[in-house]
Amino acid sequence: MKKEPKSNILVVDDEEQIRRLLRYALEEAGYEVREAESGRVALGEVALQAPDLVVLDLGLPDTHGTEVLRALRVICPVPVLILSVQDNETGKIAALDAGADDYLTKPFSGGELLARMRALLRRVGTAAAPGNNFQFGPIQVDLEQRRVLRNGQPVKLTAQEFKVLRMFIMNRDKLLTHQHILNEIWGPHARENTNYLRYYMMQIRKKLGDEVDSAGHFQTETSVGYRFVSKPQPAA
Amino acid sequence: MPDPKPTPGRPHGALRDYSLVAGVMVLVTVAGSYAPLSYHALGYVYLLAIIALSLSIGRWPALAAAVAGAMAWDFFFVPPKLSFAGIHFDEGLLLTTYFAVALIGSQLSALRAELYRAGLLAESERMHQTLLDSVSHEMMTPLAVFRSAIEQLETHDAEKRNRVVVELQIATDRLDRLVGNLLSQNRLESGVLRPRMDWCECHEVVASARRAVGSRIGDHALEIEIPSDMPIFRADAALLEQAIAQLLANAALHTPPESKIRVSAAVKAKPKQIHIVVTDTGPGVPVEIREAIFEKFTRGPLARKGGLGLGLSIVRGFMRAQGGEVSVDTAPGGGARFTLSLPNDEQAPVPVG
Repeated sequence: MKKEPKSNILVVDDEEQIRRLLRYALEEAGYEVREAESGRVALGEVALQAPDLVVLDLGLPDTHGTEVLRALRVICPVPVLILSVQDNETGKIAALDAGADDYLTKPFSGGELLARMRALLRRVGTAAAPGNNFQFGPIQVDLEQRRVLRNGQPVKLTAQEFKVLRMFIMNRDKLLTHQHILNEIWGPHARENTNYLRYYMMQIRKKLGDEVDSAGHFQTETSVGYRFVSKPQPAA
Repeated sequence: MPDPKPTPGRPHGALRDYSLVAGVMVLVTVAGSYAPLSYHALGYVYLLAIIALSLSIGRWPALAAAVAGAMAWDFFFVPPKLSFAGIHFDEGLLLTTYFAVALIGSQLSALRAELYRAGLLAESERMHQTLLDSVSHEMMTPLAVFRSAIEQLETHDAEKRNRVVVELQIATDRLDRLVGNLLSQNRLESGVLRPRMDWCECHEVVASARRAVGSRIGDHALEIEIPSDMPIFRADAALLEQAIAQLLANAALHTPPESKIRVSAAVKAKPKQIHIVVTDTGPGVPVEIREAIFEKFTRGPLARKGGLGLGLSIVRGFMRAQGGEVSVDTAPGGGARFTLSLPNDEQAPVPVG
């Protein structure tokens, strides 16, 4: 981390103590940190300082976090990590649909935050050139030839299953909402058909031998969506 | 007609009271005309009826009963019959008694209602105080740990510092769970809980619940048994996940270390239901409290000190919000077996391709 030029992180939260503690944790990890206490200040910071990543609290005093996100997305495509309170699935989905890349539920651990941030920053570095071959765990995917190997043995995926897998690989480390995936693969009329998605996830996990837990590559975010991680970290 | 203003504390009883009065008076009059009684004796039957009525109704209906009784007795029974004449000193005295009795009786009835309400209020205040006491105890304990731990962090003994950090972690988790439970309970009681029913896959829900329990599972061996042909079903995944997580955490807390906890799932045909079952090998739940443990602020006899007794009431609230239920019985081996059931009326259409 120290070798690369320091990434610039903008922390947007109205609680001063939270901002201070995030600053300690992020500076310790080698990031450069700027703070904003409101949506208005945050938008100014993004426009002038062009941060590499924004950590955005959904419950801001002046504007709702989702509004900030929409305005922010007009300015630039910087990755955004949302901080949200528990039991607010609708808020999380709205934020993700408005362009957030991932979220964390408060109270979260510093280690979790750093892991998510690293994944998002890594994505920015590599998303431009995904390459034709992609490897995760024992799985090798040839995106152009539409071939999948598991431990060197070919795996038969249906055309739709491959489409879903490809979408995850192209959006790795990003949290995709159910609605977003359904819309992309089956079209707008299928946005409510989560049964399709459950079925395909079951098939893909079975065929690729992926575990349905934190050690797996396809992570479930309850009631919200799925996140594909190329390097899963087993739960502490 | 007397003013039909409802008696305080019995706002909707006025109409019922008047109907009762009319009914009883008609009954006494009809029965009196067939009974071989003197009109004097019948006067006392009316008095008895008024006493009985006034003890259970408001003041104005009681007075109405006195008026109706007096008129009926005089008109139908006091000679000359079918006329209001014939009232002398004796009859007049009895009629006065009707009104006195009506007033005294209804006053007693009002007093009784007042006492009953006061009793309820005292009970609710006592509950409130108990709740406040236990919430503040549950909050102050982790805060006391924080304060003491921060002081002890100044030590240079690395091993001691690590021990203190572990205590801080435990206290933080405890406070986190407490606030989470209070918020969930509040969500249930304030009626803002809107379940988002969607298709759920059992492996995913159980894995998420396992993740939510985190280190609270301790060194218990968790066994997950989900049939390979388990269908997807309708539920609010977030609520179901929290219900399972609560049962897992309870099982880990109330059973010996390293004992086995099992989560299994099944489809039932009659009625069409999905069952998710959490079984442990602990002491089980005594039959006599199997219903009570799902009430809030109720804790089992073997429960450790601390905690508010909200966990299982939240589980039940979350399950009922989804149209499901939770129940407990004894596993064949003797441990507690909690069953979460959900309706399974809809079949998920399987996509083609």
